[in-house]
Amino acid sequence: MSGPAAPPPVLATVRIRMYQVGFGDCFLVSFEYAGQAEPARHVLIDFGTRQLAAGLDLADIAGEIDSHTGGGPDVVVLSHRHQDHMSGFGGSGTDAVVGRWKPRLVVRSWTENPAAPADATGPGGTALRAGLDQGRAFAGALSQAIAASRRGLRSDVRELALAQLANQASIDRLNAWSQAGTGVYVNYGQPLALDAVVPGVQVHVIGPPTVAQHPAVAKERSTSPEYWQLYQGLTATGAFDPDAGTQTAADARLVGPERWLVERLQAPQLRSLLRIVTALDHAMNNTSVILLIQAGDRRLLFCGDAQIENWEYALTVAPDHEQVLDLLRGVDLYKVGHHGSRNATPRTLFNLWNEPATRDRAMTALMSTKTGVFPGTNGSHTEVPRDSLVTALRQRTSLSSTIDLQPGVTHVELTAPAFGDAPFTVVSSG
Amino acid sequence: MASSDSPEQVPARASSPRRTFAMTIVAQDPSVGNAQGMLRATVPVPADRLEPGPRSHRFQVIDYDATARILLPPARLTAGNWQSGDWGWVEPDPFCNRSDAALLSDPAFHAQNMYAIAARTLAVFESTIGRRLNWGFLGHELYLVPHAMAEANAYYADDVRAILFGYMPDRPRRGTRAGSRALRIARSERLDPDAVYTCLSHDVIAHETTHAVLDGLRPRFLMPGLPDQPAFHEGLADIVALLSVFSMSEVVQSLLGQADLEGRIAERTVTDQELKRNALFTLAEQVGSALKDERGSALRDSIRLRPSIRWASDPQYREPHSRGEILVWIILESLAGIWRQRLADITVGGSVSLARAAEEGATAAQHLLGMCVRAIDYLPPVEFEFPDFLAALLVSDAEIVPDDKHGYRDTVRGAFARWGIQGADDHIADLSLSALTPVYRNLSYTALRSDTDEVFRFIWENLELLQIDPRFYIHVEHVRPTVRVGPDGIVVAETVAEYIQFLEGTPAGLSRAIGLRVPEEVPSGTRVRVLGGGTIVFDQFGRAKYHHRKDIRDIRRQQQRLSYLVRNGLSGDDSLGVSDGMPAGQRFAILHQADADPRETW
Repeated sequence: MSGPAAPPPVLATVRIRMYQVGFGDCFLVSFEYAGQAEPARHVLIDFGTRQLAAGLDLADIAGEIDSHTGGGPDVVVLSHRHQDHMSGFGGSGTDAVVGRWKPRLVVRSWTENPAAPADATGPGGTALRAGLDQGRAFAGALSQAIAASRRGLRSDVRELALAQLANQASIDRLNAWSQAGTGVYVNYGQPLALDAVVPGVQVHVIGPPTVAQHPAVAKERSTSPEYWQLYQGLTATGAFDPDAGTQTAADARLVGPERWLVERLQAPQLRSLLRIVTALDHAMNNTSVILLIQAGDRRLLFCGDAQIENWEYALTVAPDHEQVLDLLRGVDLYKVGHHGSRNATPRTLFNLWNEPATRDRAMTALMSTKTGVFPGTNGSHTEVPRDSLVTALRQRTSLSSTIDLQPGVTHVELTAPAFGDAPFTVVSSG
Repeated sequence: MASSDSPEQVPARASSPRRTFAMTIVAQDPSVGNAQGMLRATVPVPADRLEPGPRSHRFQVIDYDATARILLPPARLTAGNWQSGDWGWVEPDPFCNRSDAALLSDPAFHAQNMYAIAARTLAVFESTIGRRLNWGFLGHELYLVPHAMAEANAYYADDVRAILFGYMPDRPRRGTRAGSRALRIARSERLDPDAVYTCLSHDVIAHETTHAVLDGLRPRFLMPGLPDQPAFHEGLADIVALLSVFSMSEVVQSLLGQADLEGRIAERTVTDQELKRNALFTLAEQVGSALKDERGSALRDSIRLRPSIRWASDPQYREPHSRGEILVWIILESLAGIWRQRLADITVGGSVSLARAAEEGATAAQHLLGMCVRAIDYLPPVEFEFPDFLAALLVSDAEIVPDDKHGYRDTVRGAFARWGIQGADDHIADLSLSALTPVYRNLSYTALRSDTDEVFRFIWENLELLQIDPRFYIHVEHVRPTVRVGPDGIVVAETVAEYIQFLEGTPAGLSRAIGLRVPEEVPSGTRVRVLGGGTIVFDQFGRAKYHHRKDIRDIRRQQQRLSYLVRNGLSGDDSLGVSDGMPAGQRFAILHQADADPRETW
């Protein structure tokens, strides 16, 4: 006769490490259980960079994650397919360590599902995915058309185009890990049985919505495959080659206003390109997975680089958005969206934490970012991190930012008991 | 549209030269039409020496595509050559009889369409204000580039003295050789008729041309000021675009729907609410459709806005486009009201002739457009705020239409009041009501009409009357004689002069000088500039009539401006209030994508 089933493990502590990856995201959320027997479970959310912090490379961070997890995380979440969230998974000098990991669950957005049926609006809708694939192809072609240079408009366009490309090695690794049912592709409202791998932890997926849920997504030009195919076609003809200045207007024997104007339209054309690539950047940010993780009494909010269009479904449009708002009111720890930019922390969300019933509850915020990567132009409010947002976060929460870490420090670590009211406290920055 | 008249050559230099040329244009944009195809119009365009381009003394069309790097030859719209006796504009123009596909693919038609609407827009401003209007940059000609870039965008770029019209290609432009690095000068080309061309969109052309014209009239409106200032640029551009399109009775007729067998429509279809709900709403839906992703639904939503008196501090109206839509709402509301009143005169037995109703709508739009444009001359040169526009509208219109028998001014006043914008009676000072007598001793009337030093002399001898503080640097920027004609034929000759006042200093310095508290976050060494100024209107005898003043000593307004500039990062590296720090020529290029919901951003 078999004995009674072992009681389920009881959560004791939630531990979070934010790694110093410069301009990028890399968070390890560890769930520790009461009693010695039960090992901790580790969820790694993103691992990538666009610009490292001085003195540290991704191999160093990979080594830290390896040692903190005892050989690799149990769950890997990729918020979205941008270089600064996934470059660490492969091809950045981390293969020796990361190649040994064997996560039991890999969570990605529905837009990443390689085996989706060819249905334009369903959860596996290919039109949006095809659109983004084409967009990336365009970005790739464009980044090759522009010679590398250190500064200036050309460099800005090229850098932004490059940032849309995630290296193939990291995609291959995630796909390899996702085989045989290990990979799940989520959209708003989809149940995600995390507790099979991480006992006692529930997850609400509150983004991104599918096209069927929120048709507005598919109406934007930047998600249409034809739109990007066209630009790719233009790139192939050399149309976007901003370095094609070998024949000047004077060489073409132009004089007068025609010559004057032709010479001066180069810079506006580069700015036009920058706007176009920015539209792609935004479309990709909006495929970010938004997870509200419930562990005991703790509520953790991780949203990748989700911008307002991704959020608006959860906050205002979804049939059950009122319940979602209630869940969000109880957030203890908020991973600041898109490295602190102006349009990735909707005010509607932030205001939930400043209502009479919620404003006195202690909160923690984590921001993984680096200044100077997007200094922004005056008047455009596009500096990252955004000053006004950082000020508001510091007033309302205990904000830990990788900007504040001393050089060489690899991570900041916080813990909180899984049950009760005690907020997260910083254990170490070391 | 199709005409069987044999074309006649219209000589430009006959004994009584033609004042206008009739040109075929796309009435709204290629997507708006009926069973016969896209809706066109034949409109009068001011006559000019038109060389290939077309090129006139104010505009030059240059068809250069900076994406595909192709330069097309200048379009030739006239016959013969200028010096010989056979120069002329051919009427009806050759585009009149051609198919939609032919027009869409002919770069010469694109050039004509763009030129015609831009020239008409400038003409509305010049004829309403009553004088020639310079551009805001150094140069006589504004360049119009019909296919400047492969992007769904169009904007006035003051640094290149041009309006750049983008296009959304359906496929890569033929003829661009792969890997070619050359600038290609094509001899001719058939354009892709399936692409979307902003240069064929009436409202886009009128909108961007308005930015250019306003930049000439009020160049300081692009410099750091209060948030209502950039909003005025956008709002006025949309107003001019909408009212220009609406001034064509073909368009109004198509918006009013079907008439009965006698060509009449029911009275109930022309109540204020119905006009707004149907005709104006449909117009707003159609307008801006080429750039729907980028300009978004700002224009559509402007009709659906719900007036609120708390708009000034509402984050929904923080961004210039959305703030400007408040003005658009006000003008459209006024249009509906004025149209309704005009229709009341011709409604018989519960119905009204569709053609007459359309004519009245077009007339109402023309008159309202005239009111708005005339008001610009009565605006201050700096520190613009919405109540200034209301005051300018009422005062300038009263000069031209003293008896306002259709009640236009009451209608406009009522529309502004819905947003809590009410002008005080003395917002624009009526100098004839002052207790002080103006001094004209030693002034020369002739010099006063054109000489900035003479105007400064007037100011110097009347500082108390004008309440101008001479401790602050004063500079008279412009003085211009104008002759305006009202709808009833009344001629009003005026001279309009603008002066500004400057004060610059460090935050500590300004605090000592005028008690101004600069926001704390501004570093102590920053060069801070504050402004004041005014517009003085003199009558035909050289007597000062009106003074629209923005006092440099108005601490409340100065503080509001500095806080706004600081909060929105609109400053240079070591200065505040001098420049807004934006890249040259790109101010109007910023795409307003759907994600820039100002209520949600930081």
